[in-house]
Amino acid sequence: MNHPFIDSLKKIYPADRLLTRDVELLPYESDALTAFQTKPGAVALPVDEDEIIDTVRLCHRMKVPFVARGSGTSLSGGSLPIADGLMIGLNRLNRIKRIDPEQRIAVVEPGVINLHVTEAARQFGLYYAPDPSSQSICTIGGNIAFNSGGAHCLKYGMTSNHVLGMKVVLADGAVTQFGSESVEGVGIGPDLVGLFVGSEGLFGIALEITLRLMPAPERYRTVMAAYDNLGRAGDAVSMVVASGLLPGAMEIMDRLAIKAAEASVGAGYPLDAEALLIVELEGEALQVEAEFAELRAVIEESGAFEIHEANSDDERARIWKGRKGAFSAVGRLSPDYIVQDGVVPRSRLGEALVKIDELKTKYQLDVANVFHAGDGNLHPLILYNGREEGALEKAEALAGEILAMCVDLGGSITGEHGIGMEKREYLPTMFSPVEMEIMRDLRRAIDPEEIANRGKMFPAGEAPALQMRGMHPLERQGVISRE
Amino acid sequence: MTRNMLNSVAELQAFVNSHRRIHVVGRRSKPALHQVDADVMLAELSGLRGITEYQPQEYTLSVRAGTGLSEIQAALRQEGQYLPFDPLLANHASIGGTVACNLSGSRRHRYGGIRDFVLGAGVVDGMGRAFRVGGVVVKNAAGFDLSKFLVGSLGKYAIMTELTFKVFPDAPVYHGLRLRYRLLEDALSAVHRCNRSPFELDLLDFAPSSQGWSMLAGLAGFQDTLPQRAKQFVAMLRAETALLDAADVTDDAALRDPLADLTGEYLVKVVIPPRQIARFDDRVRAMPRRYSAGGNVAWLATEDIGALKQILEAQQLPGLVLRGSVDCPLIGKPLENLLAARVKHVLDPQNKLV
Repeated sequence: MNHPFIDSLKKIYPADRLLTRDVELLPYESDALTAFQTKPGAVALPVDEDEIIDTVRLCHRMKVPFVARGSGTSLSGGSLPIADGLMIGLNRLNRIKRIDPEQRIAVVEPGVINLHVTEAARQFGLYYAPDPSSQSICTIGGNIAFNSGGAHCLKYGMTSNHVLGMKVVLADGAVTQFGSESVEGVGIGPDLVGLFVGSEGLFGIALEITLRLMPAPERYRTVMAAYDNLGRAGDAVSMVVASGLLPGAMEIMDRLAIKAAEASVGAGYPLDAEALLIVELEGEALQVEAEFAELRAVIEESGAFEIHEANSDDERARIWKGRKGAFSAVGRLSPDYIVQDGVVPRSRLGEALVKIDELKTKYQLDVANVFHAGDGNLHPLILYNGREEGALEKAEALAGEILAMCVDLGGSITGEHGIGMEKREYLPTMFSPVEMEIMRDLRRAIDPEEIANRGKMFPAGEAPALQMRGMHPLERQGVISRE
Repeated sequence: MTRNMLNSVAELQAFVNSHRRIHVVGRRSKPALHQVDADVMLAELSGLRGITEYQPQEYTLSVRAGTGLSEIQAALRQEGQYLPFDPLLANHASIGGTVACNLSGSRRHRYGGIRDFVLGAGVVDGMGRAFRVGGVVVKNAAGFDLSKFLVGSLGKYAIMTELTFKVFPDAPVYHGLRLRYRLLEDALSAVHRCNRSPFELDLLDFAPSSQGWSMLAGLAGFQDTLPQRAKQFVAMLRAETALLDAADVTDDAALRDPLADLTGEYLVKVVIPPRQIARFDDRVRAMPRRYSAGGNVAWLATEDIGALKQILEAQQLPGLVLRGSVDCPLIGKPLENLLAARVKHVLDPQNKLV
């Protein structure tokens, strides 16, 4: 990196919070999209918002690109560094500044771990609803950048629906606030919170966030149903929807995913099933029990050959541990894999699965399927061996066909992982040239130098080098998992 | 001021391209919003109506912006579904105006407001460009989410021509309760208790009454369990709050409509954090009012908009005037924001949309 820039950074950061040596930069060279890897020019570790603001202003003045990073769990490569750019690590801004149980809000810094919000709110009978699979390690700042989801999005929405207010520094160093502590959020005037959440770090950095908390459900009822084919499990989801029930979560796993998860976690999944449906109801005890009786009747009608209800909190936790760790478990069966998270209309899930099956045959690659069936959010896991020549390209071609299929079926190329580095070439398949132009203009109006997370979201940007495949180091240790 | 009925996106584009200052009108259910200068051309969208796609199985509904709320709600009702944000002024307003003004009703308490259910929109911006923002499926994280940005934007950034929503199944039966408290602080403390309880209330409002304060609560669910749930709910309030008495409410309309009793020349929405209500209420005692969504929104009627404006300015609360003659419907805390200004520069650089 150029010396004047580093010299200026030294005026903001002490030596132990400004990393420039190769060995110090190593942990920051990738995120959970392990296909890409490059070293940033330097890493700054701010401890308060003033340092972030000063850093962004310096970057803007000296035209140095920067990437804000929380725990680096982005599956779309959204927090990959830029060679010769600055990485701003936000993990030290990890204070939960305030929990106000009467207003059901938490005011947090961007480096706070998602699950820590719920842990802090639990004593008040409250919780933070968005639950991405990496919630034990991913940060609220990252969740905001990518509008993270989880298994409960259909009923409770995504991150965007749980952010009420924010203070942010835009990419040119301007600081602004919007929203409120009311559940209306902005409420009057354009919903700037809704615009900022999901902007993939291209507008700037969130400095302080007001989150909406929800009352913890009194009762959960979780049921697993085993089917002899995937189509039947998909039909069961349609039957549940048609019944008028609104479950908190509806998840499907295919045979490969079931086997891998069972071997990894011992969740009690039926090994002879071609498809497993997990449905969870939650809420007031009396209401949930009444709904559960209806759900049970629907599932019994749906052609499941085995139905099992979770009979304890431990059992429920095991079922979810298997589900949330399913992809990591499948990943262990293969040296390398790609995860996609396209969305199709729920009623077209069956078509999508048939098409994925055809693509498996066409490309001669294994694909495991785990998906949020309630909202049509697919997560095909494409297995390949990166050491075989052309295998990566083949897997990427298959992944590309799946994304094209999602668009053709009237869905989206991403439900919760974001575009990031991974899907930027596919963004124009969802948006017209005018829409692309407007989004680019928006980006430039907010970040004239295009320094904030440069190279992400839009096609043909500056990209980190494509170097490797495999599991994220934390994934190998079982700390994080892909959803 | 000239009125122009525009019945298609193409007509609207041509209109935007051929005029210098434009103001959008739906069904005129919020008259305070349409007091504009004489040189402003009115773009009337009430002819741009009709449901374009409704897939009950997908929980999604797409509808043209000028469509009346009652038409939408009737279609949803046939499938046992509803708009969980509970649009306000359901008998008069269009869906586009409801979103542009961000007017959710009391039942938004259960699942959220308009921003939580808008999935995407078709728009025409100040440059006359027609395009889509957001998506059409219940989950989507691709691109900048301008569809949420447009909620509450008052038609000043882009004109919504079509909207796509997430919809939910409605509960088979509904149980309304009126719970009486002597003082505001008693009612507030009961609301706080409710907010932390596992009871999933469909509605939680409170308002002054002739005998103190009434807390209005709604529970939705199955016929078999609803009476028992309501009983448990009231028992909790009796045990843990200063409840004077509780009564079932049979007049659903009055229970669900926060504006039902608010007569006065001016009608105003105020976004308020629950913690600020006691201080705020102390200043607006003379005004008919109702606090909605668990005490996060205040609806007020008044004859003296100047006084309310001063109170809102002093307490740094934003207000939107829906009824009554005002120069500007936005009162109280200023809403100017540099991020919004930059979006305006992209979508409407000539400042056509007013």
